[in-house]
Amino acid sequence: MTASAPDKSTILLIDDSIDMHRLLSVRLRGDHLEIIGADNGLDGIGMARTRSPDLILLDVDMPEMDGFEVLQTLRDDAATHEIPVIFLAGMTTTEDKVRAFEMGAMDFVSKPPDFAELKARVRSALRISFLMKMLAQKARLDGLTGLGNRAYIDERLNEEFAQSTRHNRSLSLIMSDLDNFKSVNDTYGHPHGDAVLIKFASLLAEGCREGDIACRYGGEEFAVILPETERDDAAEVAERVRASLEAVEWLVHPERRITASFGVASLSCVEAPSIERLVAAADSALYAAKRKGRNRVILAKPEGRRFSLSA
Amino acid sequence: MNHDQPGGTPLLSEFADDPEMVELVELFVAEMPMKVTSLRKAFDEHSLTDLTRLAHQLKGAAAGYGFPTIGEVASELEGAAKATEDVNRLRTQVDELVELCNRASMAA
Ligand SMILES: [Mg+2]
Repeated sequence: MTASAPDKSTILLIDDSIDMHRLLSVRLRGDHLEIIGADNGLDGIGMARTRSPDLILLDVDMPEMDGFEVLQTLRDDAATHEIPVIFLAGMTTTEDKVRAFEMGAMDFVSKPPDFAELKARVRSALRISFLMKMLAQKARLDGLTGLGNRAYIDERLNEEFAQSTRHNRSLSLIMSDLDNFKSVNDTYGHPHGDAVLIKFASLLAEGCREGDIACRYGGEEFAVILPETERDDAAEVAERVRASLEAVEWLVHPERRITASFGVASLSCVEAPSIERLVAAADSALYAAKRKGRNRVILAKPEGRRFSLSA
Repeated sequence: MNHDQPGGTPLLSEFADDPEMVELVELFVAEMPMKVTSLRKAFDEHSLTDLTRLAHQLKGAAAGYGFPTIGEVASELEGAAKATEDVNRLRTQVDELVELCNRASMAA
């Protein structure tokens, strides 16, 4: 989930004038910009959805659907609402400009445009939007381990839960906690404690399959979201990570292994599935793993009168 | 007096020497006679809608191809076509715009 530098940016021009398309494709040529175009609002919205451009240049004055309607539609759609938009408008009132900015336009360029100015504004808009994306990602990253943080887990759990209920698919969650971590910190110092957290985070990420989402839940607690995964398959992932951590030989304390406990739950384990119940089920399985002596994977038992597929 | 006959001095694009623009300017200039015909036709048919649309298109495009004066006159014509049905005033502005377009064509 790292922001990649914008080495090539795609710009979508939505304008009913063929001349704007011709002029723009020449004037903005090079500069690592790819220009794609639509000559009406409806096609433009479709292209915004399918091509996910980095920036949209939007003509205000178009027959049928005008720029304001297009902008409103783009803003109402989760797939397009974060794409920055620069308005292109001829004779406009201050009222129009204010309205455009209030609707979320990033900038305003008057038509006919001075292309040197337009180019500069395009670059500036791309830079700002890149920084905004990076900041938004950073706010969801754990600074020490590079995994997603608590805010990111909550966000992804919401998304994945919605997906799984919509498509009637399974969803599993692993909650994990390093064993006796306080003692590791107290005995070998916090820098080593941090090194253990970083190592565990990387083992967790390695143990995940494509599509699994590993995060640091807080402190020495970690979580993995496993979309479209039944509980027993999630348990295999947990077991793989558990074994790989136990196998690590630590230079600072060759005589002592570090272990972690794991609780695994899936939506099929809980009555009236909800995110809260899924988290609670994985949490209590984790608690059971601690109680039974740590360094193990415990599966949440299906609640209520359900049959179990596992022995 | 027939305003559609080229007369006066050729009107050159501000971007005539700009290598990246040469091709586009040529294309724009090549389309001028077609635009002139459309303007004349719209005027002869007394179509304020068509005059407004054509003037609006020229207004938006001309400066981009290096013909700001065409853009300005087109803008005036658009305003007149929206605001007035005064045939004489419209004729004057159509004539003025057509003359500029023709002078641009001469440069080709
Ligand atoms: Mg337009």
